[in-house]
Amino acid sequence: MAEERELLQFLQERTKDGSLSLVDQRDAARQFNCSLRDIEETALNHSILPGRYQRNGLSPARQLLLFHAKVAIIGCGGLGGRVADLLARLGVGCLCLTDPDIFSESNLNRQNFCTTETLGQYKVEVVAQELRKINPILNIETTKGRFTETSVSAAYLIVDGLDSIEDRHHLSRLCRKHSRPLIHAAVNNWYGQVGVEQFDTQLITQLFPIQVRSFQAPQVLPPTVALLAAMQAAEVCKLILGQNSPLTSTWLHCDLLNCEYTLFES
Amino acid sequence: MQVQVKLFAFFREGRFKEEGRELTDNTIVGQVVDDLDIDREEVGVLMINSRHCQFDTVLRDNDILAIFPVIGGG
Repeated sequence: MAEERELLQFLQERTKDGSLSLVDQRDAARQFNCSLRDIEETALNHSILPGRYQRNGLSPARQLLLFHAKVAIIGCGGLGGRVADLLARLGVGCLCLTDPDIFSESNLNRQNFCTTETLGQYKVEVVAQELRKINPILNIETTKGRFTETSVSAAYLIVDGLDSIEDRHHLSRLCRKHSRPLIHAAVNNWYGQVGVEQFDTQLITQLFPIQVRSFQAPQVLPPTVALLAAMQAAEVCKLILGQNSPLTSTWLHCDLLNCEYTLFES
Repeated sequence: MQVQVKLFAFFREGRFKEEGRELTDNTIVGQVVDDLDIDREEVGVLMINSRHCQFDTVLRDNDILAIFPVIGGG
């Protein structure tokens, strides 16, 4: 307790305009022999904002909600990799990354952490490594493989970064079984769709009637992926912060070619 | 009867964005899809007057039918 009081006093002394720099966080971690994550939690608990969140414009209390959230990103390709980047920057404290694949050349056009240097490496490993550089306080769990029931039950919110319709149906069933909101998006060429399936809605079944076949490797333009991933990240953020979103009862069709963005009841 | 058909995303390519169609009474949605030479397996969402419907839903006069392709990439 005495140590905690001393830590708090240290943090308060180093805080300038309500914000604590990374240098001071590192000093505190060294001096008090704890992790940057511990420092961040103590800071947020006492209304001190780490400098990395200064421009998020969220109060320390709301930033603390993000800190305590655990989000599973199922599929770390075009959508999932970018959602992971955005959630790391927002300050979502625990990210569970699941993907069985390695980066290949055809991923270079749109997948955030796919570079000529990361080709051939497991996506979850590369993404986790890069996320830690962006935000060192993150708890990151990685699974090099397909998602399982545990992938769903272990997190509060599930992000759909899949590219197979069968897998989406399976993920949707698991999310409804465990009452986890599923933040869905999908892309093709200039077009995309995004919406949130709650345990009592049937978004995935509506968007993917059972008779449709899975299309292999659709054409995907990078701006389409970036836009839809950003919308997924925004929905995750709102759900964690308890802010209402129209996308919990509707889905949005996005047509970047004709600049048409239309909400439909789900 | 008159039905307004709206196509979305790449279903518009080589077809149209929106078109009025004169149909015989009791035409079902699937018939319109087939007439447009759209593969039923490529169809995702079907809506009549902004409500989800099926291939076998019967169209009524002045309905607005929306046809979306499956969008499944990630």
